[in-house]
Amino acid sequence: MAEGVLSPGVNLEAFSQAIAAIQALRSSVTRVFDCLKDGMRNKETLEGREKSFVACFQESLHSVSRDLSELERLSNLVGKPSENHPLHNSGLLSLDPVQDKTPLYSQLLQAYKWSNKLQYHAGLASGLLNQQSLKRSANQMGVSAKRRPKAQPTTLVLPPQYVDDVISRIDRMFPEMSIHLSRPNGTSAMLLVTLGKVLKVIVVMRSLFIDRTIVKGYHENVYTEDGKVDIWSKSNYQVFQKVTDHATTALLHYQLPQMPDVVVRSFMTWLRSYIKLFQAPCQRCGKFLQDGLPPTWRDFRTLEAFHDTCRQ
Amino acid sequence: MGVTCVSQMPVAEGKSVQQTVEILTRKLELLGAEKQGTFCVDCETYHTAASTMGNQGQAGKLMYVMHNSEYPLSCFALFENGPCLIADANFDVLMVKLKGFFQNAKANKIESRGTRYQYCDFLVKVGTVTMGPSARGISVEVEYCPCVVANDCWNLLMEFMQSFMGNHTPGNPSVFGNKHDNIYSPGDTMAQYMELFNKIRKQQQVPVAGIR
Repeated sequence: MAEGVLSPGVNLEAFSQAIAAIQALRSSVTRVFDCLKDGMRNKETLEGREKSFVACFQESLHSVSRDLSELERLSNLVGKPSENHPLHNSGLLSLDPVQDKTPLYSQLLQAYKWSNKLQYHAGLASGLLNQQSLKRSANQMGVSAKRRPKAQPTTLVLPPQYVDDVISRIDRMFPEMSIHLSRPNGTSAMLLVTLGKVLKVIVVMRSLFIDRTIVKGYHENVYTEDGKVDIWSKSNYQVFQKVTDHATTALLHYQLPQMPDVVVRSFMTWLRSYIKLFQAPCQRCGKFLQDGLPPTWRDFRTLEAFHDTCRQ
Repeated sequence: MGVTCVSQMPVAEGKSVQQTVEILTRKLELLGAEKQGTFCVDCETYHTAASTMGNQGQAGKLMYVMHNSEYPLSCFALFENGPCLIADANFDVLMVKLKGFFQNAKANKIESRGTRYQYCDFLVKVGTVTMGPSARGISVEVEYCPCVVANDCWNLLMEFMQSFMGNHTPGNPSVFGNKHDNIYSPGDTMAQYMELFNKIRKQQQVPVAGIR
């Protein structure tokens, strides 16, 4: 708004001096009337009284005219505020008199203040977040095409046969976990991991990097109507929605751009700890249920079970 | 069809069936459960007709035909310790046609009606068991929908039941013992209801002072 911004043509210092001059003028005019009200002082001779009265009166009138000329001089310095609205079109809204029914201008101001604050906070947040880089792509933002990217892009372009081999080796690692690989949409592998009779996990991959996971119940339908693996719909149960969130956190935790097969192996090891999703109590509070949910969090190092609210 | 446990809640001292049901539902609502409509489970008894006994003089077997509003298009037929058949709703019409072999004992019709509550992934159904015009007891069914293996989540189910049933939490149902690691099916729920209804039928009628 106009606060803090001097509109052109208004001299603020002269303005304050003019206000002081007005006060001085007022007091001198009051003095004139006081003098008249008091009348003649008590002196010896009539002439003496008249003379002193007239002198006093003249003096007050002089001070009045002096103050008035000072005020006139200052008022010329102050200048006129510019006729143009410094607020342009939005300022025209403030001329609407019906304030309580349509408080458009105040709402507009609030909206602007809020969006400015939001922009400022977003700038701060992006600065902080950029310090912890979570990028999993080989190219860096803003790098010119001529300069070679620093990370090796070769791990992104692996032959599908290699991916199949790695996955089948991991499939054989754990007896209670079976992995089925398919490629319904181009070269990206879609894994359907079945863990015992507890849950099913759909893993969408990009060469050997894990992109997304969705966790669903053992008896829930994981196929779309045309028989393809359904990679979008969420589980119907809150516990599996929570486990999906944790799995996404795990994806971001296990990262090694140079050795993606180690990453996939550690992720599968972590996932396997969910075989006891309904049987294990929380290591911290000892109970099975918290807000109706079993311990859904598995620690990344120790694979111990915790409730989402109990984890350190 | 998650793992389900069906049990009987004893009527509180000095209170009627209706009042005990209200106490239970209030506890559930305090816990945070949401009401989601009503449910009904009913059971009809059929005797094998005498004419089919033949020379061997076997004892007549009792067959129970049950319906559950949770599976509205199905009809369940069970023998006491025997197999459970899950058929579609036309099975009732078939039983009418088999009048010569199975006779309906109409006086033994028993049903449980009440409200259905949902809390997180749990489904709780509290019902009044009635035989004819009289209320005979209270049935509580707790289902944990995400899990399909009975032995996995028994402790979890028990902890949940304790939170609103207190000391009246039941023990391990007998159907769980036979399951090992097999997938739980709706037929097991109906077997539990059948056991419950038989138990209630044998019980003395609730004292008159409490009913009205």
